[in-house]
Amino acid sequence: MAKIELINVTKRFGKVTALDNVSLHINDKEFFVLFGPAGAGKTTILNNIAGIQIPEEGIVKIGDKVVNQIDPANRNIAMVFENYALYPHLSVYDNMASPLRSPKFKRDEGYIKEKVNEVAKMMSIDHLMDRLPSQLSNGQRQRVALGRALVRTPNVFLMDEPLAHLDAKLRNQMRTELKAMQAEFETTSIYVTHDFMEAMSLGDRIAIIDNGEIIQVGTGDEIYYMPFNEFVAQLMGEPEINIIDGELHRDEEIFSVTLTQCNKTYELPKEDNVYEKLAAVSGDKIHVAFRPKDIIYSFEPVENYVEGTVFSYESIGNKAVLIVKVSDALLRMIAPNGLVVKLDSKVYIDFHISHIMFFKADTTEYICRYDEASILALIEEQAKEA
Amino acid sequence: MAELVIKNLFKRYENSGKKKKTVNDFAVNDLSLDCKSGEFIALLGPSGCGKTTTLRMIAGLEDITGGDIHLGGRRVNDLHPKDRHIGLAFEDYALYPPLTVYDNIAFNLKAKGVEKGEIDKRVREIAPLMKVSELLSQMPVKLSGGQKQRVNIARAIIRRPDLLLMDEPLSHLDGKMRQAMRMEIKRLINDIKCTSVYVTHDQLEAMSLADRIAIMNFGVLQQFGTPMEVYDNPVNEFVASFIGEPPMNILETTIDEEDGEYFFTFADSNLRIHAPARYQNVLSKGFKVKMGVRPMDVLIGGIDSKGTPATVATFENLGDERRIGIRIGENLLMLITDDEIRYRMGDSLKLEVRGEKTHLFDIDTGNRIREK
Repeated sequence: MAKIELINVTKRFGKVTALDNVSLHINDKEFFVLFGPAGAGKTTILNNIAGIQIPEEGIVKIGDKVVNQIDPANRNIAMVFENYALYPHLSVYDNMASPLRSPKFKRDEGYIKEKVNEVAKMMSIDHLMDRLPSQLSNGQRQRVALGRALVRTPNVFLMDEPLAHLDAKLRNQMRTELKAMQAEFETTSIYVTHDFMEAMSLGDRIAIIDNGEIIQVGTGDEIYYMPFNEFVAQLMGEPEINIIDGELHRDEEIFSVTLTQCNKTYELPKEDNVYEKLAAVSGDKIHVAFRPKDIIYSFEPVENYVEGTVFSYESIGNKAVLIVKVSDALLRMIAPNGLVVKLDSKVYIDFHISHIMFFKADTTEYICRYDEASILALIEEQAKEA
Repeated sequence: MAELVIKNLFKRYENSGKKKKTVNDFAVNDLSLDCKSGEFIALLGPSGCGKTTTLRMIAGLEDITGGDIHLGGRRVNDLHPKDRHIGLAFEDYALYPPLTVYDNIAFNLKAKGVEKGEIDKRVREIAPLMKVSELLSQMPVKLSGGQKQRVNIARAIIRRPDLLLMDEPLSHLDGKMRQAMRMEIKRLINDIKCTSVYVTHDQLEAMSLADRIAIMNFGVLQQFGTPMEVYDNPVNEFVASFIGEPPMNILETTIDEEDGEYFFTFADSNLRIHAPARYQNVLSKGFKVKMGVRPMDVLIGGIDSKGTPATVATFENLGDERRIGIRIGENLLMLITDDEIRYRMGDSLKLEVRGEKTHLFDIDTGNRIREK
């Protein structure tokens, strides 16, 4: 059990800078997710904490101790990899007991029995102790692998995409299982993933990593509702958020925005925070973002709706995504399953203006959104709980 | 474009009889399918279900143990692959590395001795359709995965095949690219209206692309129907749990009776679900059966709800939606909600299950129990 700190860590591989001046503070007992696209540097951060790699610059601290010079074996860290690597010829009990029987941690069998049983109970695998790994389901195997890592009460628990090799269905199921187990962990955990659902579901807090840099750190709600920039907004959400060009009009009492591709102007409801932030934007160009659920459509003409054509319609499980083409913009929206939709047929859309997010046209950085105050209140409440 | 009819198709691999545990050792077992002219069919199932074997038999790359394959009214069982007028696009693109994109696309026509002007015309025709016009002079090594797959499909359709066969063409691509390509394939097939058979293990791809889906398991066809047919009326537990994300909740239940009405009850749970009247004639008190219900059809009741009190076992905030798991014995009953409330583990709520949306499956065979 320990907090973890990275202070100005830079890691280079030859000429490539994998981590560029990264600072992170992970709280004791926190479940912390490192999230980003492939090659962002997530695993490198994990490896630097584990001591598998050593940074060229900066400090890595576990608890209050600087560990840069400490051997991986002496950092008291447990790692779970993508493949669980259970010993196929050992029973569940012996698999879980194996770390405590290693020369380094050698304990007497009485202690081992007590510890293994305690963890097994916590992971709800106490009825499986005599089975071989081949007699377990995937979910049970995962529990055993996590249980094995937990028996020696590590300071930190590192998980590198433990669900990545599973098919979509199983991955969802395992994620939920992991979520159910999580409440029982009393160990600081760092979890690497490129799957936004895993990040949102599991992380007490999430760090968004890109190109070896930390873009944003926050709770799932914070990152989803107030993304630092368009890159983050696009990572969080399936189907992806819609970001289109807009032009601000601020010459009168009431501001309005013209959605360029839709060739339509919408009055912006008056909210002090939004008006203040928009007033400070230099130039009239702006990017306007809508989550797919904030666009509504009709296959019959409706007055004041924007006309477009159906670009695609596809089921994504329990609902469907309708993509509408309006001039050169493709707009994603949520539709029910099972509609009979003809490609390229006409469709009419409208926007929930009060759910809009604004980004800067030049830097793509977040400007503001409606109802920010209640989101900030929610985030504060979550922070207090933690 | 042609109609594809598969009749009582069997495939048995020699030497593998002992190792494989498929039903009767057949990799494909008595498969009958018909694919109308211009129709897009998906063969869907877990790995080892026989879907690729079926595709390879259609293409002529695999001997047929029994049964017939007709394409455009012609029996093609004994025809050489090249005489079947079939276009193939597989998972690995296998583009010729020393040839430009143009020459890769033109290759099959050149091999057939098509005249140069005609080849050029057809390449220029297909290139914009597949969005590879800008890439024609590039070498394959320079292309991204999505671009390679586009060239691969262009190469398959330039011969104007009667039938286009695709085997997991998107499985190499990462999430976002796969989604984009899925959309493009759908639009392309819509444009060229080529009869197509598409092999995949991803139910999402099958649901979003196909006119009809053939779901296979252990070499046996389970169900063949439109995406909504297999989603709304799965013929058995296998299909029910394979189609849909998150999957259907399937729980063992014992039937209870009260004043002539039936209820689903569950071991280690106080959950009671009113069974819809249409099951009246197939249920009886004490009857054991598996009940399925999709996560969308489990609702959270309001303050004065008469629903079953339940405790939140898992809560997942996924941004666009929230998923809640409720422990029912050893299983988690999952529900999806757009509700903005952030539940915590251990919180109480009222569960309302839409009884009319439940499915019943036989406890031993897993087959759907139909109301009478």
